[in-house]
Formats: sequence, structure tokens, C-alpha cells
Amino acid sequence: MAGVALRSITKDFGDTRVLRGISLDIAEGEFVSLVGPSGCGKSTLLRIIAGLEAQSSGSVVIGGEDVSGLRAADRNLSMVFQSYALYPHLTVGENIAVPLRMRRLSAAQRFPGLGRLMPGARGRNREIADAVSEAARTLEIDMLLDRKPAHLSGGQRQRVALGRALVRQPAAFLLDEPLSNLDAKLRVHTRAEIAELHRRLGATFVYVTHDQVEAMTMSNRIAVMMGGEILQCAPPDEVYDDPDDLRVAEFIGSPKINVFTVTSDADGRLSLMGHPLGIAVPQGTEGVRIGLRPEALYLADAGAPLVGRVAHLENLGSDIFAQVAVAGLNQRVVVRGTPSMRTKLHLDATVALSFDPASALIFDAEGKRVRDQRALASTPQREAV
Amino acid sequence: MAVLDTPWPPANIATEAYKRQRRTAWMLAGPALVLMVVILLVPVGIAAILSVTNYSLGNPGFDWVGFDNYEKLLTRSSYEKMFTATFTYVLTVVPISVGLGLGAALLINSLTRFRDLYKTIYFLPVMATLIAMAIAWEFMLHPTIGAVNQTLAKGCGTWVQSLWPWLARHCTEGMPLWLGDKRYAIWAVCFVGIWQGFGFNMVLYLAGLTSVHRELYHAAEIDGARSGWERFRLVTWPALGPTTVFVVTISSIRAFQVFDTIEAFYPIGAGPGKSAYVMMFAIYEKGVEQNLIGIGSAITMLFLGFVLMITMIQRWLVERKVHYG
Repeated sequence: MAGVALRSITKDFGDTRVLRGISLDIAEGEFVSLVGPSGCGKSTLLRIIAGLEAQSSGSVVIGGEDVSGLRAADRNLSMVFQSYALYPHLTVGENIAVPLRMRRLSAAQRFPGLGRLMPGARGRNREIADAVSEAARTLEIDMLLDRKPAHLSGGQRQRVALGRALVRQPAAFLLDEPLSNLDAKLRVHTRAEIAELHRRLGATFVYVTHDQVEAMTMSNRIAVMMGGEILQCAPPDEVYDDPDDLRVAEFIGSPKINVFTVTSDADGRLSLMGHPLGIAVPQGTEGVRIGLRPEALYLADAGAPLVGRVAHLENLGSDIFAQVAVAGLNQRVVVRGTPSMRTKLHLDATVALSFDPASALIFDAEGKRVRDQRALASTPQREAV
Repeated sequence: MAVLDTPWPPANIATEAYKRQRRTAWMLAGPALVLMVVILLVPVGIAAILSVTNYSLGNPGFDWVGFDNYEKLLTRSSYEKMFTATFTYVLTVVPISVGLGLGAALLINSLTRFRDLYKTIYFLPVMATLIAMAIAWEFMLHPTIGAVNQTLAKGCGTWVQSLWPWLARHCTEGMPLWLGDKRYAIWAVCFVGIWQGFGFNMVLYLAGLTSVHRELYHAAEIDGARSGWERFRLVTWPALGPTTVFVVTISSIRAFQVFDTIEAFYPIGAGPGKSAYVMMFAIYEKGVEQNLIGIGSAITMLFLGFVLMITMIQRWLVERKVHYG
């Protein structure tokens, strides 16, 4: 087990720079997710850590040792691929044994047939068989050891790929969207299992995904990547509650955060569609936008800042998400309701929405978070009078 | 309850529809079946019948000779030469042309530029007419004016001669008569066969290589396969299994069918001392030139047996071994 550190990694493909100076410290035993939309460079970054791709500049440090010049086979990492990349001609047991056979047996001992007769091969082969059955037991695939990958379901193949990764004790596990080929139900199940596996092994995990739910549910920390940069790297709740950047706020959270353009007066006091919000930003901050999570909005009486018509409802059972069309806004406002609100939240109902100004996330024109906000003493309604 | 007891659709309608479908199916498959029987099965059957007779074209009748023709095949020394030449050719050309095809495909696959150029160059002999190429090779292998011997002669008296005893011997004794010498004739024929055939195998292997999943190579690297040979053993070779079975089968059948090179090199007699007397040539010589239809048919049946055997082995391998599905 070891930590992984990235020092200003850049990567160019021809003239296109896909990674722009990424630095990230992953502690020993930590589960870090690299999450971002497709094309943000997260998979490239993982492949650079693995050594399958060379960085244009910067260095990769694993367990305190600079491995930038080492090839993938010498970095002592395990990787689970999106396609699982199982060897189709080998059985499950043989697949899991490959990393051990490659490392523990000499070329002569691996020779088909005769290799088993080489001195020392017998003991080593027994060690490998033990390690394989141990890994298979951990993942509950011990009854599949004699099957070929083609005869397995997607979920079983995924476990075999995991088994091949954990059969030896690598410095860190790299997982490249391992759940994206599974159906929704299995994905939820496997998500929990991988998180548990991480706790049990206490190993370093670097997990690449485009699915923010996976990142939120499994990680110690999430690194949100966009346009070849890490916008924020923080624990899941912090990334959700306290995003540094509007793009992070928009990417994390489902349904998406509601973003409103607000006006600020000369003193920096903010108002939304003519309703003062009772908060102010430093003077001269322009193009201010506020973000409100669907759960930050609540149904209020008339006179609330946002009034509109329910245009669409999504009932998830435990929650109801209503899309409210508000006159004067381009995009619909999404509000979360509880099942008890079904009488009020129905299609075409006119609803008034309000929120606690303190729950509003304020961003400047570049989308950077404005933390230097102050609440004004009086309530917004009174000030409007 | 009466309603429930009646199956739907009612039996009479179901059988009517079933019969109609069956009629249509026979009608659609009919022409192909008739053609197959008339142009494939009937000739094979006739050949099988003729192989137990002493029929000659133009004769009013024939006598049944039982398995005499087959007995001749297994006992006479000229047919022993036929088997030796055929199996020498097949067992030389198939492994070497498959190996070279694979090697060339791997090399071309690793290129980033000039792929198509190399592909075209290696594929040219496949596209060319073998009989024309054989004539070209006849010139190349000519004992005195041929490029091969002239090139070899350039090595005489240089350091090459001291490293290569064979060349040293021929420098003094005179260069080999490639096509006229009993020791070299079949190998010269094999060489032309390999030269002509490996480009075809290369193209098949190139197609096979495109289906190898790239992530498998990355997985192999992560799993500790450091050398190219280890990655080949772990990923490429197993993935090429189905291609290899196909390539070996096709090459074997083509090798059994070799005829034009020998016909071009040795229009009469199939090489010095019948050293290149392969099966196809024997069929042609007996059945066409000497009008011994009976013995020609017997060789044909034997030939068919070999080809069928190879095909069966291929089917078995494809179904049992190399498809990991």
C-alpha cells in the first residue's frame, strides 16, 4: 500500500493540451474519485498514473518514489478496465493467476507443460493457486474458477477483473469506469461492494467515473475534473455543499442545481427578479449568479421571489422533483418535494417558491465562488417596502 | 369450457399453414439443392464409381476391377513418389507460409507509416498468375544465366565462402541446377509456393489482428508481461486462434492442390526422377494425358479424402478449441 502523488502533470496530444498541470496528493489508503464529463482528461490521467501513457511533463510519485520513468509493469499497480479486459482463452482461475504467474514464476517455469517440472515451480504454483482461491473467495466467485469469461454475466466478469487486480498486493488500485457496463441495479449493488472492499483492504483506490453518484457514494475525496484541470478536490459532502466553482456545482448533484442570474446594486446588495435577497457581495462584483439546490427551495405563500407553474413532475417515491416554469426565466426551476406535498405539487399547479438566502451559493462572472458575502440585518421583504 | 378446450390456432389451420410454409421452403431451396447435386455430388459419385473400373474415355465399355486401382496407389513406387512429393510440399509450405504470413502481419501491424505499401508488395505475388510467376522463377533459377546463381557466384572467393561451406563446395563444383537436380527440385517448387502464398496468409492475419482488443495489451502490461514475446503469448496468439485455424486449413488445401508451378517447371515427367510428382499432377497425367480414367479417379478420391480430413479437423478445432464463446 502506498500513496500516490501527482506533480504538475501535463499531457499534449499534438497541439491539444488535454491535461493542464494536474497536482494531486492521494494519501495511503484513500479512495479518490476522478469525476468529470467525457473528454475532461480523467481517463488519460489514470493511464498516466498506471504508466500506460507518458505525461508530457510533470511527475508521478508512488509511495514516495518517483516512478515517472518506470514502465507500467514495474509500477506495482493493479488496474480494472472498463471492458474488464479478461483474457478470453483462460479460465477465471487462470485469469486471476496471470499477474502472479508473470511476477513470481520465471520464464522457464511458465513454459507450457514442461514449466511445471522446473525446480521450484511446484511450490510457487501452489502459492499462486492458494492466492487465487483466496481472492475468489473474497469476491464470492470461487464456484466460477473453471469457466471461461464468455460464459459469465457482466457482473461476474467485473468481479473476475477485480479478482485479478486484488490477487497480489499492489501499491494502489486504479479503476477505470468499472461499473459503466453493468445494468442499473447491479451497479448500485457493486458500488457498495467496491466501497466495502476498499474499507476491508485499506488500500489506495483511484477511481475514474463520469457518474457523479458513484463518486459521491464511494469516495473519501472527489476530484472534479473539467477541461484538463482539477476544479476541486474535497470530500463528497464538501463538493456538494460548498463547491468552489459553478461548473462543480452544476456537475455534482442530481437533479442539477438551479442557477439564477441576480442583480447587484452599488453596495453589492443582491436581488433576484426584483426581490432583494438580503445578502450582499463585495462592491464591484459583477455578473453574479446564485445556485440553489432543489432541496433549498420550498413552497411558500404568494409574494415569494419565484412564482410559476408546475410543468413536469418526476415522482421517485421517496422524493418528488417538480420542474416549475417561472415567467422571465429561460430554464425551469427544479424543486424537491416530499410525498406529502403531492396535493400541492401537481401538473399545472401554480406554486410560489422561496428559499433561505444563506443556502444560496454565490458565483461571480467567471463562475468562481464568492465566499465574501454578508447577510443584511433586515429581512428582504421589509427592505423592499 | 368448450372454448378453452379448443386450441388456438385450430389444428387444421395450423397444419395448413405449416404445410404451405414447408412447400415454400422446398421451392426456395430447390434450385440450389438441384445444382449442388448435379454439379457437386453426382461428379463425386461418378468419380467414386470410375475409380473401381478400368474405364478410358472413348471406350464403349469398362470392366469392374474392384480396388485394384487403390492397390496400385499403395504399392507402386511411382505413387510412393507421389505421396512423398505431396507431403513434402504440404508439410514445408504450410508451416513456413503460415509463419511468414503471421510474422509479416505482426511487423506491418506495428508500423505507423507505409503500411499499405508493404501490404501491397507482399500481396502482389498472390494476385499474379502463378504460371507466369513460375516462368519468371524458372529464369531466376536458371543454372547459368539465372539471378540466383549469379548472386551466389558473387560470394565465391570472399569471406562469405569461408563462413558457408555449402557455397564453398559449389564454387568449386559449379552452381546447383536448382530445377534439374533431384535433391533441389521439390524444394525449389516449395520455395515458389511459399513466396506466392504467404502474402495471402498475411492479409488474413492482418484482418485477425484488428479484432484483438487493445485494452488486453494494457491489461497484460499491468499484469507484468514485460516483453513483446510475453504479450504475444498472452494476448495476440490466443486471439488469433480462429484466424490460425482458418489460415492453416486454407493453406493446406491450396498446398494439396499445387499444380501450375510443376506444370510450368516440368511439363513432362514432374521433375527429375519424379521428385515433384504431386497428386494434382498425377491426376492430370493419368486421367487427362494418359486417359487412364480409373486410376485418375482413384487418386482424385484419395485427394478428396485428404481435403475432407483437413476440413473436419478445422471444424472440430473451431467448435471445440479456439472459439472461447
